[in-house]
Amino acid sequence: MPLPLEGIRVLEVGTFVSAPYCGRLFAGYGAEVIKVEPPGGDIARAHGPFKDRVPDPETSALFLYLNTSKRSVELDLGSQAGRDAFLRLAADADVIIENYRPSDARALGLDYERLRAVNPRLVLVSITAYGQEGPYAEYRSNNLIAFAMGGQMFLTGDPDKPPVKNGGYQADYQGGLNAFSAANLALLAAERDGEGQHVDISVQHCMAPILEAGVPFYSYNGLWLGQRRGNLMSSFMGVYPCLDGQVGVHVMARNWPPFAEATGHPEWLEDERFATAESRREHDDVLMAEVIAWAAGMRKKEAYALGGEFRAPITFIHTMEDLLESPQLEARGFLRRIEHPVAGEASYPGPPWWMGPDAWRDGPAPLLGADTRAVLAEAGLSESEIATVAGAPA
Amino acid sequence: MKAPLAGIRVVDLTMVWAGPFGTRLLGDYGAEVIKVEGPGQWDLLRGLGGIPRTVDRWYNRAAYFNHNNRNKYSAAIDLRQEAGRDLLLQLLAKSDVLVENYRANVMDNLGLSFEEVRAVNPRIVYVSMPGHGKTGPEAHYVTYGTNVEQLAGLVSVSGYEGGEPLKTGFSYGDPTAGLAVPAAVALGLRQRNRTGEGVHIDLAQRENLTGFVGEYLVDYSMNRELRAPAGNTHLHFAPHGVYRSGGEDRWVTIACENDEQFGGLCRAMQREELAEDERFATMAERKANEQELNAIIEEWTATWGHYEAMHILQRHGVPAGAVLTIPEVMSDPQLRARGAWSEQVHPDAGAWEVETPPWNLPRTPGHARIPAPGFAEHNSYVFRDLLGLDEEAIARLYADGVTADEPNVRSHT
Repeated sequence: MPLPLEGIRVLEVGTFVSAPYCGRLFAGYGAEVIKVEPPGGDIARAHGPFKDRVPDPETSALFLYLNTSKRSVELDLGSQAGRDAFLRLAADADVIIENYRPSDARALGLDYERLRAVNPRLVLVSITAYGQEGPYAEYRSNNLIAFAMGGQMFLTGDPDKPPVKNGGYQADYQGGLNAFSAANLALLAAERDGEGQHVDISVQHCMAPILEAGVPFYSYNGLWLGQRRGNLMSSFMGVYPCLDGQVGVHVMARNWPPFAEATGHPEWLEDERFATAESRREHDDVLMAEVIAWAAGMRKKEAYALGGEFRAPITFIHTMEDLLESPQLEARGFLRRIEHPVAGEASYPGPPWWMGPDAWRDGPAPLLGADTRAVLAEAGLSESEIATVAGAPA
Repeated sequence: MKAPLAGIRVVDLTMVWAGPFGTRLLGDYGAEVIKVEGPGQWDLLRGLGGIPRTVDRWYNRAAYFNHNNRNKYSAAIDLRQEAGRDLLLQLLAKSDVLVENYRANVMDNLGLSFEEVRAVNPRIVYVSMPGHGKTGPEAHYVTYGTNVEQLAGLVSVSGYEGGEPLKTGFSYGDPTAGLAVPAAVALGLRQRNRTGEGVHIDLAQRENLTGFVGEYLVDYSMNRELRAPAGNTHLHFAPHGVYRSGGEDRWVTIACENDEQFGGLCRAMQREELAEDERFATMAERKANEQELNAIIEEWTATWGHYEAMHILQRHGVPAGAVLTIPEVMSDPQLRARGAWSEQVHPDAGAWEVETPPWNLPRTPGHARIPAPGFAEHNSYVFRDLLGLDEEAIARLYADGVTADEPNVRSHT
């Protein structure tokens, strides 16, 4: 069985996280992804953490992870020769993914009308903080700023402290996954109609629908809580310290009886203060003190196992060590061992979803420019043309 | 022009947030989505609207339910009854996609496993999206969105610098799973179109979200050293943080990724001498003296509104953004200019503003076409028009409690 995206050709003019994550998913599911890197490489190569903490453009964990199974072409899109060569590649591509500010993208030749002229079926996917048009379209952004302008940051943190972003590059990853979904819808439409389009992803717009009940409650009921709630959302939803880490609890009304059983407190079920969801909310302080006291005496894996046994939504905060040791991830084969010629062997997350065991592939990230000559030759550039854009043969 | 998923029929068995958000996106981009709830097994979000149960059809008025379920039809079918299961299989025989987010073994126990559905529709794209996936020793564990980010490793690297792990301020695992659904369905449809055969997609919410912290996993695997929460700081860049602005609990983010941007910040603050100051002249020095620098910046931001500070800084080429509250997100000029909101009128709930589909596909645009369905609103469409049942057969479904026009309000008290 061929891979789900086998036969699809993607050019990724992506820098850092969002477009590369989108490209990683294309590559994993079988598309040929050609990563077009500027001279010196994607800036993610300059970002740690590095293997053994020694900076090296080939051993950044961020770059290694985001660029699995791709080919790398080093091409200067700031030069006319580079842009001409890129146009040759674009003529034969199904999808281009890019994440530059609109004016910067156009300067690099990523102009939809020009690209369409050489390839009407092409799907151009642009991931930006704000979208292609509008008053902030040219505003500078990054992961932190996008998290703030999408409304997610205000909600995150303790009530008496500043808002705080969550770990890593979450706004960028959201942009990448939104783009992957949108790109695949556009690809279906292109195959149906014989025509591509310019897909415009605004990370800010992507975040607006996912502020939980915040927007609908404000828009419809006129209610807005206006406060961060840290780890203690309520007695039945939060993160609580335990003996060797933290446990997490997320109890909906129907999980209340199993939760009381799992925590060894069946007497809560007889307590009239805790009889209904409403009365539990009324006595939230009392119940929260009970839950905190319960958690404080537990070991994390023990609490998790009890949650499983009683079907109560109790988990523990998994560290990266816990992920590598997770029996669940192990049993499902989610952790993939990948050998990289410079960085060596490491464990990588597998596919975001499974479509049978053979629908995902695990190639290492490419060395900078490893495929420049081969890709340009495949696109029909002559030796002398290749020498112009790629320099003398290595 | 036809929407990307025009002509695709989706049977939606999902409840609460992750699944319904995913299938809403399918509806936004043209699929016909039929949400199936049981008369006693209805989506619990219908009960979380803060609408008093003395109000007529309160279960159709919950904003959070209506938010996640626009662009869908609704039919009531009790899947625990044999006749209900048969009815669903008849519907699946005429559909392209099934999406479910039950715990791993629920569909199997209902007699609706992939194999059983494939027997009536060999071309079905069957999407399961349980928290842990369909297999493995933890598959039967119960999880919700906050649990998912804990299992994915994200919480362990989130939090204030030097502080404890911190949850995201909302159930982050839910929407991040929903966002994957259109892509998973598109890949499934592509495979079906190519091979003529259906496919079972197993989307474990925790695995999908682990993909959002992959660099931490690779780093730990190579270096065997856990990383502590880093707050708003960045590994290399400074300044990179959130600063108090004028107003109660109002903040602005600033991130300088090079000397040029830092120069812009100094000019914006009218503190040009800072760019030459030996404590701040290079990125490495700014990173080393970050707290000192942050205090200087906050003296300036505190004198401006968060939006004002953003606009001033952007005019000087400095990456900056206001920390928007939910009311501010809804009034933000950029989102307004993009057309991110439109008014929708719900027959029971009335008029309100909803977000438009997030991705701009100009040739094949998405739409917020129809409001969320009332409970069982489209029973007649599904039973009569799609499945061709006669009046007598439909009456029997009602008489036997296989379907109903109103939910059993005793569930989800």
